[in-house]
Amino acid sequence: MFSLRYVARRMAQSILVIFIVYALTFFALFVLPGDPVDNKINNPVSPLPQETADGLRAYYQVDQPLYVQFFLHLGRLLRGDLGFSLTNGKPVSELVSQALAQTLPLAGLAFALTVLLAFAIALTAVFAPVAWLRELAKAVPVVSISTPSFLLSYVLVVVFSFRLGWVSSIQDEGFKSLILPAITLACGAAGALSQVLIRGLQKAAGEPFVTVLVAKGVPSSRIVLGHVLKNGSIPALTLLALTVGELLAGSVIVETVFNRTGLGYFTYASVRDQDTPTIEAIVLIVAVVYLSVNLVADLLYAALDPRILAHEAATRAPSKRRLGGRIKGIKEEVAA
Amino acid sequence: MPTPPLETLTTRAFSRRSLLGATVAGLAGMALLSACGPEAGSVAAGGSSAGRSGGTLTFVDPEIPTSAQVQESGTWQTRDLIQNLTDRLINRNPQSNELEPWIAESWDVSKDGLSYTFVIRDGVTYSDGTPLDAKSVKKNLDWQIAGDTKNGVSSNSQFPRAATITVDEAKREVTVKLPTPYAPFLNVLTSWSAGLVADATIDATHDEQVKYTGLIGSGPFTVEAETYGQKYVLARRSGYAWAPQGASNQGETLLEKIVWIPTEDDAVRLGSVQSGQAGALRYVEPKQEATLTAQKFQVVSKTGVGLSNQWFLRTTVAPLDDIKVRQALSHSIDRAALLKDLYTENWSAATSVLAPETFGYKDVSAAFGFDAAKAANLLDEAGWTARDAEGYRTKNGKRLFLKTYIDVYDNTANALFQAIQAQLKAQGFELELNRLDYSSYWVKAFGDEEVGLLRVGWPHPDPTIGLREYYGKDGQDLLQLAGKDKTLQDLLDRQLVSTDENERRALLEQTQDHLVTKQAYVVPILNDSQVFVLAPGVSGFEFSDGALPLFSNVAVSG
Repeated sequence: MFSLRYVARRMAQSILVIFIVYALTFFALFVLPGDPVDNKINNPVSPLPQETADGLRAYYQVDQPLYVQFFLHLGRLLRGDLGFSLTNGKPVSELVSQALAQTLPLAGLAFALTVLLAFAIALTAVFAPVAWLRELAKAVPVVSISTPSFLLSYVLVVVFSFRLGWVSSIQDEGFKSLILPAITLACGAAGALSQVLIRGLQKAAGEPFVTVLVAKGVPSSRIVLGHVLKNGSIPALTLLALTVGELLAGSVIVETVFNRTGLGYFTYASVRDQDTPTIEAIVLIVAVVYLSVNLVADLLYAALDPRILAHEAATRAPSKRRLGGRIKGIKEEVAA
Repeated sequence: MPTPPLETLTTRAFSRRSLLGATVAGLAGMALLSACGPEAGSVAAGGSSAGRSGGTLTFVDPEIPTSAQVQESGTWQTRDLIQNLTDRLINRNPQSNELEPWIAESWDVSKDGLSYTFVIRDGVTYSDGTPLDAKSVKKNLDWQIAGDTKNGVSSNSQFPRAATITVDEAKREVTVKLPTPYAPFLNVLTSWSAGLVADATIDATHDEQVKYTGLIGSGPFTVEAETYGQKYVLARRSGYAWAPQGASNQGETLLEKIVWIPTEDDAVRLGSVQSGQAGALRYVEPKQEATLTAQKFQVVSKTGVGLSNQWFLRTTVAPLDDIKVRQALSHSIDRAALLKDLYTENWSAATSVLAPETFGYKDVSAAFGFDAAKAANLLDEAGWTARDAEGYRTKNGKRLFLKTYIDVYDNTANALFQAIQAQLKAQGFELELNRLDYSSYWVKAFGDEEVGLLRVGWPHPDPTIGLREYYGKDGQDLLQLAGKDKTLQDLLDRQLVSTDENERRALLEQTQDHLVTKQAYVVPILNDSQVFVLAPGVSGFEFSDGALPLFSNVAVSG
């Protein structure tokens, strides 16, 4: 389907972006007032013993010029060494895996719910047989976008945990504990997605090919599910890719309320404590996730709409630029 | 480069929680309704419990425990855990505040203060089965005093710098010989950070020691499971029979287990106790206390021995170089109004730089009682007679101006600082409040040369060590006196090596007089309070001398 060259070039681009993000983060953190290692060592709440502090200083070679430190970090990174947390001296890789183990199941469930919700809302808003139902469904994304996640979190905790006692607000009870935070995350993410989907479906439903299909006597359910949905969901796909990144790293508030220590909480804590190696690791993970999901989305995009590939073959122009334009367009649509 | 104010400086809360907490006033009402439900309290009691025994207590704490490494420990949450997991040589009875035998069944101090002999109680074992005998005590003391450089373990700054320790196994005796007298020594041995641990812990790598499962003590509870940041399961130590002499429960704990869950969000922590999902919590916002009491929850609090919350005034920063200005500032703060507006009866006004139950404490509150007329007179005498358009006093065209940073370790600090700012404004002081984030607060606030005052002061096992670390020239020297105040330095030096208890008490009293009454270097604000909430079925909860929770006598009933 795709030329290997195309995929290889996209991957090379992604790696370059990851490198730039990593470098920017590294230098930005060192622009912050105070040496992060010294700041950390002098933290009065968790003071590190002199020996540990000396060990950390030596490990990060803080007396060396900045660019030497940068390449030191980069070299270690390439060997898979993420370094040690400045807060508790644990290997960053260990902390990151603990956070990911908390976050991935939640993000996965939230993602599935987001897609389900968004399609349900959009299909209702565009194809429901009754006008008031369509109008009602169209209002849902607005409500969803304008409801702060902490508010929804608290309402769910108060009702389902404190009042009904169906799930513990403090203990991790496995899958059961994922449901409320996943609903919160999905409600937030589904808003923008369903709005874009509604526009996409409306636009696709108005295309001439629909008239042709109707004329050919194709049943309307097949027109909607087989043709309109395929054509109308392309813009939403790109947005969905961005949503994945948000679900992984942007759930600080939801994690706080639901007492989870995932990637969002971890991000918050490491920024608060200026735990540089940990922040770098998180930025790296989030960048990799964003870019890989975007890559997959771009490839899927082409699969859903072969014209993109044809265009690609004809011009050899990088499609990223076009997609970038699309994302911008989508954002403008959402804002409008 | 500044170093931390006290190795043991602690945190009560981070700002994120207050942000969330403040936005859910409406929802809190809903949460309260739920507490009236029929099953309140029953979940916390989990498991059958007949009378006052058995059961599991779910405890929610506002913070994630930091390192379990004993010498590194200091935050409240870590103190609270270590207190219940380890035993110490000596206990300070929380009622009488007198020292009493614990793992040391008796001790003897030589007249010159250079030799301490402890007789170690027979039959005590660590949870891994190894004996807590004289040899083990020696190993612990050596480790505390010297640290373990190769393993990245520092020495305990509360302990004497050097000592020679010998053991007489037949007599179960440990003798500590000091090169110079060290008056705080016995008090230091009561500290949570003097908790005795098994060889296996001392010999373990630093990475192992930071984990709670790696902390092998002889205490009433042991750590059964630990999921970092999420859950710490403490289990009853079977066969425990060596509680301190005055403890209400001399044997095994009544509880089978404590499930210890860090829950940072104030509203969720409160809701979990109100809905019966947890049986006890630490730290509730003062404004919630009345509602909880009305709902039959127990709100308990204690001020630990040690230092009170206080503002030090830097004499190197104008206008605080003038003692009259410092005295005027002292008389401008109305603590009764602060307590009435922002706090509850579980909090109290400080009456000295030391907390009331502390050894050597003296009430010096007369020197800083609220007195607007006196403050005005002092400022007039100091030449701050004119007022500018905004009502602030001026002298030679300069405004009576002070700069500080809002404390980040206490989440009542925002409201407290703002209220004091308003009180000072009424007297013509302009107090500039600055904010810093949690990670840069210590370095930047204490390193800022323009800062006139900052807040310090937390419970501590020994007042001399606490005061020396803050105000001594070899400590933080927060007043930036560099030893120039010979009287103060002399008082601090003499109390460290005093071999006579009455003499040390007198020296401590003189130090308080000097810091507060004579020089007005320090303005005591409030006594630090540790506040816990207990569900109706929870009984037997007690505090240690340092305001740490004692769970060994706690029981839950359905």
